[in-house]
Amino acid sequence: MGLAAYESRTSVNDIELIARVVAGDAAAERELYETYVDRIFRLTFRLAGDDDLARDLTQATFIRAFEKIGSFRGESSLSTWLHSIGVSVALNGLRKTKRLKTREAPMDEGLTIGAASVEAEPDLKERMARAIDSLSEKYRTVFVMHDVEGYTHEEISGTLNIPVGTSKSHLFQARSKLRVALADFAPEWVS
Amino acid sequence: MTEDNFEEFLKKAAQSYNVPPARTPREDMWSAIQAQRAAGPRVVYGGGSPVHESSVRRFGSKIWLGAAAAAMLLLATGVGIGRWSASSTDPVSIATGTPPSVPSSTDSNAAPLPGVGPEVGSGVPSTGARSGREPASPTRVAIRPATPVETGPNAGNGRVPPGGASTNPGSSSAYQLTAVKHLSEAEALLTSFRTRSTTDQQMDAQLGSWARELLNKTRLLMDSPVANDPQRRPLLEDLELVLVQIVQLSPGSTPQDREMIEKTLQQDQVMTRLRTAIPAGTQRGS
Repeated sequence: MGLAAYESRTSVNDIELIARVVAGDAAAERELYETYVDRIFRLTFRLAGDDDLARDLTQATFIRAFEKIGSFRGESSLSTWLHSIGVSVALNGLRKTKRLKTREAPMDEGLTIGAASVEAEPDLKERMARAIDSLSEKYRTVFVMHDVEGYTHEEISGTLNIPVGTSKSHLFQARSKLRVALADFAPEWVS
Repeated sequence: MTEDNFEEFLKKAAQSYNVPPARTPREDMWSAIQAQRAAGPRVVYGGGSPVHESSVRRFGSKIWLGAAAAAMLLLATGVGIGRWSASSTDPVSIATGTPPSVPSSTDSNAAPLPGVGPEVGSGVPSTGARSGREPASPTRVAIRPATPVETGPNAGNGRVPPGGASTNPGSSSAYQLTAVKHLSEAEALLTSFRTRSTTDQQMDAQLGSWARELLNKTRLLMDSPVANDPQRRPLLEDLELVLVQIVQLSPGSTPQDREMIEKTLQQDQVMTRLRTAIPAGTQRGS
């Protein structure tokens, strides 16, 4: 589910697609949007945990991308560049809404979002969510991208503009903290 | 179990974290994107759009424009206050009338007051025509300092410099004030002369013009009651000599000519006597 699936497509058509978008081709904009919107929306939703906020962040990502695409120099793939914008927009948006989100958390507990494909024990699900939310931003981002959404360390490195080793270190730290936070559930992975 | 088991458990359990809807609301978001782009500037998470940034830049430029306008206003206010205070504190002003202490034009002892006019104490040499015109003016004038000047018998006590005309019963505070201003201006000229560049011929020409102006005033003062003072008259005579030398100093003069002036200044201690004759607090050369 990582960016690798899009790499071949963007590497072949990136230049042409970008040129058309820069030229103001509405169809090209829509094509770019259709290609990446699912991934961007999923990632922002995982980070935001709120449907309305995820929509806003996704929309902001593409608006910003369309405005900035003229400055895209091709130093990375279009996919990586777009995900960089998406993560940057998401993290900045979450920082602004963090306090509000914290206050509204108790109300959100009773809200069901979408259809969970993976069922976890209610108590484990809640504890897991709290544990991940308690991670620092850099650890949580890497953990969500790698362990939840399946991005590789190379893709995370390109998206977050950090070394691969740093991505691995952040993931290690995140897992260590989650292990402590979920120690009560140790029998489930020990057995 | 092993670390791998924990990772597997974690990945599996974490799939329940912020599960996105199965279907991405593509059309809704695309419509919103189009509407927002058509609407123009908006707040965008993650630093905002270029349109928003440009509005920030515009706001920044407005700040600078406002600061510049404030600076200009402050400067103009300062200049205005400066001019107002300079005019209000000008120690010499012209007033019509005939105060008892001021000699009239019919007074046989009264010589035309040198430098009576706006250019007195200005520090800038004025044209000779103006100073030459004033003594011939029949208008009776009085010099009225901004600060009240006593006109009684003890007028000027404590204000008149050592060796001043306070010992001369026939002198007036108006003459004293004029003399002090003249000596201050002379000191400024001589200081400029001593500190000038020896190769600056333009400076020599300006100093010559200035010295000519002061020379005329010096001679007028020498014919006024101010010169009745036994200590001030020699000072004015020595000052006249130095000023004549400076006036005669041509742009192509030799260093020996300048040395002669310097020697006169040193031998007669003109500078020292000038400074002694000028009371503290008087604006020199202004």
